[in-house]
Amino acid sequence: MKLKRLLSILIILSTIFLTGCWSSHEVNTLAITVCIGIDKTENGYLVTEQVLNPRAIASKKATAESPVVIYTAEGNDLAEIIRRFTTQSSRVLYNADLRMVVFGEDVAKDGIQNILDYFLRNYEYRTDFYFVIAKNSTANEVLGTLTPIELVPGFSMYISLKMSEEKWAAMKSIRIIELVNSIIADGDNPVLTGIEISQDEISPESTDILKQSGEYKKLKYTGLGAFNKDKLVGWLDEDESKGYNYITDNVKNTIEYADYDSKVKITYEVLNAKSRTKVYFLENKPAIEVKIKTKCNIEIVEGEFDVSAEENKQVLNELLARKVKLLCEKALNKAQKELKTDIFGFGEAIHRKYPKTWEKLKDDWNDKFTDLPVNITVEAETNQLGQITKPLFMKEKE
Amino acid sequence: MKFFKKTAVKNNEINETGPVISISRDIKENISRLENDFGHDSDLVVHYFKFDNNRGLICANIYIKSLVDRSTINSLSNELGKLKCECRNGKPGINIDALMSYFSGLRDAKEGFDYEALYTDLLSGNIVFLIDGCKKYLAVAANSDEGRSIEASSAQTIVRGPKDGFTEKINSNIMLIRKRIKSKDLKVEYLSAGSITKTTISLVYIHKIARDEIVQEIRTRLGKIEIDGILESGYIEELIKDDRYSIFPTFLSSEKPDSVAAALLEGKVAILVDGTPYVLTAPALMIEFLQSSEDYYHHYIVSSMMRFLRVMAFLLTLIVPATYIAVTTFHQEIIPTPLLVSIAAQREGVPFPALLEALMMEITFEILREAGIRMPRAIGPAISIVGALVLGQAAVEAGIISAAMVIVVSITAISSFAIPNYEMSNAIRLIRFILMLLAGVLGLYGVLMGLIVLVLHLCKIKSITVPYLTPIAPKIKGGNKDTIFRFPLWKMKYRPIGISGTDAARAGEGNPVNSSQKEKPEFR
Repeated sequence: MKLKRLLSILIILSTIFLTGCWSSHEVNTLAITVCIGIDKTENGYLVTEQVLNPRAIASKKATAESPVVIYTAEGNDLAEIIRRFTTQSSRVLYNADLRMVVFGEDVAKDGIQNILDYFLRNYEYRTDFYFVIAKNSTANEVLGTLTPIELVPGFSMYISLKMSEEKWAAMKSIRIIELVNSIIADGDNPVLTGIEISQDEISPESTDILKQSGEYKKLKYTGLGAFNKDKLVGWLDEDESKGYNYITDNVKNTIEYADYDSKVKITYEVLNAKSRTKVYFLENKPAIEVKIKTKCNIEIVEGEFDVSAEENKQVLNELLARKVKLLCEKALNKAQKELKTDIFGFGEAIHRKYPKTWEKLKDDWNDKFTDLPVNITVEAETNQLGQITKPLFMKEKE
Repeated sequence: MKFFKKTAVKNNEINETGPVISISRDIKENISRLENDFGHDSDLVVHYFKFDNNRGLICANIYIKSLVDRSTINSLSNELGKLKCECRNGKPGINIDALMSYFSGLRDAKEGFDYEALYTDLLSGNIVFLIDGCKKYLAVAANSDEGRSIEASSAQTIVRGPKDGFTEKINSNIMLIRKRIKSKDLKVEYLSAGSITKTTISLVYIHKIARDEIVQEIRTRLGKIEIDGILESGYIEELIKDDRYSIFPTFLSSEKPDSVAAALLEGKVAILVDGTPYVLTAPALMIEFLQSSEDYYHHYIVSSMMRFLRVMAFLLTLIVPATYIAVTTFHQEIIPTPLLVSIAAQREGVPFPALLEALMMEITFEILREAGIRMPRAIGPAISIVGALVLGQAAVEAGIISAAMVIVVSITAISSFAIPNYEMSNAIRLIRFILMLLAGVLGLYGVLMGLIVLVLHLCKIKSITVPYLTPIAPKIKGGNKDTIFRFPLWKMKYRPIGISGTDAARAGEGNPVNSSQKEKPEFR
C-alpha cells in the first residue's frame, strides 16, 4: 500500500521532471530577428535578416559595435534559407519579435502567395508585423541601411510607418491577416506601402556622419503599391494614396491645403474623416456611392481671407470638400483606368449587399470594375480657426 | 495517515497509569509516600504543626520551595497563627472543611481526594494542607508571580491601536481579554494537556456568538490530545488541525489582545496556552491571514487599499520568480521586444540557466533571512553588509547573476514581508520554490498546473469544519464585506455567516450622526 503510493508519486514526479526542460531557450542564446527582406534571384530567393545585437543596444557605454547584424542567404525555398542561417549565426534565429517584412519589388510583381503561406503556417511568427515593398531598390539594400535616432532600423521602420499612417495618411500599415484576407476576397485587392532609400548629398551637421563616405542614406516611405490578387501591378503617388485612404476610411489625421484664388491659400488639419460606402442600382447595374464626412481645423491662412466671417464659413468647408474629392477621384481614376484593380473593396461591398448579383459579376470583376460608376460626395466641417482668427496682416475694410 | 494513527493508539496505552490512589486517613503514611515519590533531596518542604496541643491533631502544610511565593507563605503562617489562637480559646476540632471555609474567604482554595490531583496542585505552586484523620487535602494557591510584564508585541507591530501584547502567563492573558470584553457571556474553560507537563490550556469564547458545534468540536479535540508535553500553542495547532499534511496555517496565532477580542466578537474561539504569548483563534479563514487589526482602526478606503496591496503582494511573492523563469526560458514571444532586448543584454555572459540563477538567489536570500533571525543581535550589521554584497550589485558585476534577477528576487522578498502573518508567508515561501521548479521544467504551463493544484488544495482544506476559503469559495451572499475590501463598520451589520452562532446582529440600524441631526437646534 505504502509502496504503491510512493511509486505513484515517483511516476508523477518523473513525468514532470524527466522531460528535462524540453524546448527551453535562454534569452541570451537567441538571435532576435527584427526584419526579414525577401528578394528574387535566378535560383529563387535572396533572404536578408536583420538581427539585433543586444550588447550594443542595451549597453550604457558607447560601443563600436553595430546595433544590428545582417545575415544573407540564397536558396530555392524560404524555410530552407532561413534554417540555413544557422550556418552563419552562433545563435538560434528567433523570429517571434519580427517587426517588418520587406518584399523586393520583383518578388511583389511575381506574387507573394507562397511566401505568405510560410509566414502564416510557421508557429513562431506572430501576426503583428507589417509588410512593405522596397521601391526602386532591393530589400537587401533597405535592411542594410542604418537609421538615426532609433538604433535599430527595424524598429525605426515600424514606428515610422505607424506614425506616418496616423499623422500623414498616405501610408497603410498592413498585417498578415488583413493582407491575406484581401487577397482571398473576390472583390478586394491589397495595397502595400512602398519604402525608398533616399540619398542626400548634403550631410547633416553631425560629426558622426562625417565619418561616413559623404552620402547620407535615409529610409523613406512613399505611396502605396497596388496589387491585383497577390501581384504588384503599379504604384499610387502620394495624392492618390491619400485619396485611397479617404475612400477606405483610413484617415485619422492629415494636412490638406486648397487654393481659394491665386492669392489665397488655406491649409487644413483634417481631424476626423469618416467614409461610408453604399451600393445602389443605376440602370440595373450596381453603382457605388462613397460619402465622406470630415472635420478640420484651420492651420494656415495665406493671403487676405477672413476665416472668422460668417459668410466665409461655407466657402471654407466647400474648399476642403472639393480638395478631398479631387484626391479621391485621382485615386479612383488610377485604379480604374490604369491599374485595373479593385483595391477599394467595392466588389466586397456589392457581395455583402447583393450576394445574388455578385454571383454573376465575380468572374471577371476587375474588367467590370473599370466601368463601375462611383459617386463621391464629401462634407467638410470646420471646427476651430486656431489661436488667432483673422490673418494678422489683413487690413480692415472701411 | 494510517501509520500515524497506529502510533497514537500505542501512546494511549502507555499513558494509562494504574488505579487512582486516594489519600489515606493516616497523615504519617501520606507524608512518607510523598517524600518517597519526590525523593528526599527535592525542594519539597513539609511543615508539621498542631492546632491544639492537647488533642494532638497533627496537620502538615506542604509546598515546593521554588514554586511558591515567599510573601504568601509568610502571610499564610500569620493567618494560621491567628487560627491557632482561636482554637486554644475553645473552638471545636479542626478539619479540612473548617480550614476550607476559613481560607476560601482569603484566597483561592480547593480540595482534592487523590494523589494524582495532589501532585498536580503541588506542582502548580499551591500550598497543600493535610490533616490527620481526613481523607482529603486542601490546596491554597500561592504561585509565585515571576515573569515578563506586559510589553508591546514584538512580532506584530502596528502604528495605530493598542500596543500591549500577551505574555507567557495565562492568567494575565485572560485578564487582557476580559478587560476588553466586559460580558458575562465571555466563557473561559480550563483544561490541561500533556501527560507530563500538565500545561494549562484555556478555551475562551462568547456564548451564543460562537457556534456551539465549533466550540464542542474544539473541546473534544483538545480532550483527545495525548502527548507528553505542550510547550507552545504551535503544539496544539499541529495536533488538532483538520488537514495535518497541509502547509497552510488553519489557526490564526496572535500576540495582540485586541485582535483576539475582535476574533471572539466574530464568533471565533480562542485557545490560550500557559507559557506562550501566542494565542490561537479558530476557525481561521484564508483571507484573515492577509488582514491586520489595524485595518479596522483606519479609514475604510485606506484599509481596503492596504488589503488590496497585501493580496497583490501575496500573489507577487508566489508567482514572480516562477513567471520570470518561465517567460525567459520558454515564452520569449510574450515579452515586449525592447524588454526582451534589455533582458538579453543583461544575461550576456551569465553562465547559468535562469532556473539555477533564480534558485541560487532565492536560496541565498532565505539563508540570509534565517541567519538574521537566529543570530545574536550584536552581529546583525555584519550580516546585512555581507547580504547586500551577495544579493546586490557585486553579484551582478561578478557576472554570476543578471541584474533583472536581482530585481525579481527583491520584489519577491519585499512582497513576502508585506504578508502580515508569519506562518502564511512561510507557507507561500515554500510553494514558491515548487512553482519555480515547475516553471523551469514546463514553463507557464507548469506554473498554471501548480496554481491549479494549489487552488484545489485550498478549496479542500478546512479550519475546524469551516472551509478555508469561506466566504469566497463556498460563496456566501453578502459575506464579502470584510474580505479583500473592508466595508465601513456601519455596513457590516452581521457577524460572518458560517462562523458565528445564533446572535448574528452586530450593529444596529441607527446612525449616530443622522439621529442627532433630526433634532435641529433652534437659533434664536
